[in-house]
Amino acid sequence: MNDYDVIIIGAGCGGLSSGALLSNQGRKVLVIEQSEQVGGCCSTFEKQGYKIDIGASIIEFPQVIDLCFKRMGTSFYDEVDLIPVDPTFSAILHDGSKITYPISLEETRKQIEKISPKDAKGWEEYSKKIQGFLDAALEGFFVSPAGNLTDVIKLFAKTPALLKYNRLFFSSYEGIMRKYFKNEKILESFSFHSFYAGLPPALLPGHFAMLPYAEHAGIYYSKGGMIGIPRGLQKCGERSNMEVRLNTLVKKILIKNKRVKGVMLDDGTEITTNLVISNINAKKMYFEMVGEEHLPWLAKLGLRSYAYSIASPMLYLCLDYEPPLTEHHTLMTRPMDKTNDYWNSHYLKGSFPKEQFGILSWTTKSDPSLAPEGHHIIAVTLAPGAYHLTGTTWDKEKPVLKEKIIHYLADTHLPGLKDHVVLSELSTPVDFEKRLRSPEGAIYALRQDLPHSMMFRPSAKSRHIKGLYLVGASTHPGGGVPTVIASGMIVADLIEKYEQ
Amino acid sequence: MKTVTIIIALIILLFLIYLCQPKSRKMFILNLLTQVKYLIPRYFT
Repeated sequence: MNDYDVIIIGAGCGGLSSGALLSNQGRKVLVIEQSEQVGGCCSTFEKQGYKIDIGASIIEFPQVIDLCFKRMGTSFYDEVDLIPVDPTFSAILHDGSKITYPISLEETRKQIEKISPKDAKGWEEYSKKIQGFLDAALEGFFVSPAGNLTDVIKLFAKTPALLKYNRLFFSSYEGIMRKYFKNEKILESFSFHSFYAGLPPALLPGHFAMLPYAEHAGIYYSKGGMIGIPRGLQKCGERSNMEVRLNTLVKKILIKNKRVKGVMLDDGTEITTNLVISNINAKKMYFEMVGEEHLPWLAKLGLRSYAYSIASPMLYLCLDYEPPLTEHHTLMTRPMDKTNDYWNSHYLKGSFPKEQFGILSWTTKSDPSLAPEGHHIIAVTLAPGAYHLTGTTWDKEKPVLKEKIIHYLADTHLPGLKDHVVLSELSTPVDFEKRLRSPEGAIYALRQDLPHSMMFRPSAKSRHIKGLYLVGASTHPGGGVPTVIASGMIVADLIEKYEQ
Repeated sequence: MKTVTIIIALIILLFLIYLCQPKSRKMFILNLLTQVKYLIPRYFT
């Protein structure tokens, strides 16, 4: 008799969604989390009365998340107190001009028309194309396993409409956007979106061109901080007796005859089970918790070949004035070619850019209760930062860099900032690695280009260890809050199918 | 001999097509090509 039917390592959104679904199926589930709170990258910490989001600062694709809650007989909107965000974002372009995109597709078209009438037509065509793709993807791509060729064939057989959009998979994000938009300003306003999936516009697969459009289906902020979303999943699981154990570290996955037998904690305690779901980085899990001795040479070669995804330095600013912004999300952008150049000349070479670009997330705009009255919080997501810096380290650069960024923002987008910073904290890739135990601070676990996607990403059902399953950004459909929640749905289905 | 010539001609043709692509397209193609060797091992993860 095992202690639990299922043990889940990591209480990120993928771990919690799979745990909640499996406990709803009547299984005895234990979720083990190394940190003091749930959520992973989609979480919130409190400091001196300010509630600060660690990473994610809005939710896109609510329809994907809602699918998960619906399977438990409830809805995303009933379980999580959601605040609609409208407009989707404002982009401050490199020349200082600003474009704002409301949720309404028609209003957005009008905004584009003011800058480029030709691109307004492009927006209509782009919207039509992406809506068709999303309709098909929601039925198949997001919620079906893609661990091997058979899975992929089944996925396309289940939703043949996806085949119509094959060009999206074999073009780049930039290629697709340039097909519909010709004006460089419009293109620039969408350039940073590619980093929402961790790559520059030239390298990101074209199906991610759905990102700017998908925001128009509604984007939301969770009242009280983004941790509300994983807590909503936790609440649903706990109603069916799912247990969540915080501040507990799993050291090893116990394996006998290529079959999961349980887990061993850091203090040597062993907990028995026949099913383990890993919600941590697959490379780390296979090499450190499973052990190379249980893996065939080809799998070891494959795992070693994976590149970690980007790390995203974040600057958290707590202020005693209302910042001169207008939207929850303001994107500081660069033209598409310059964004690609940044990747080659700074990110890959381990250096910092002089000019900053990224996202200013003014969370107190949507939820003033996050800070003391009259105070505000801005989380600045900076351009991706390499984990390995050339000729220096993050710890050495951190204090200088923080000051430089504050000066830059005060001189550009946030006048008056310097006199109103009550609290500031720069979270570097090294800090993310420590806080989330994510190797190299990778926010999407592994890169998300084509050779790291679908059947070339670690399989949700382990090919080598029976009873071992993967959720989260390491497996299909990849990184991002809705997609990791979708990975939890996929694994719950796989377990229902194979582990009766 | 004839087959080898055809293959070489095709490779040269593909290379010339690659050279004519815009910079960002080249970046996309190069990224795929440099990872082709990993696809089989990755399939077995």
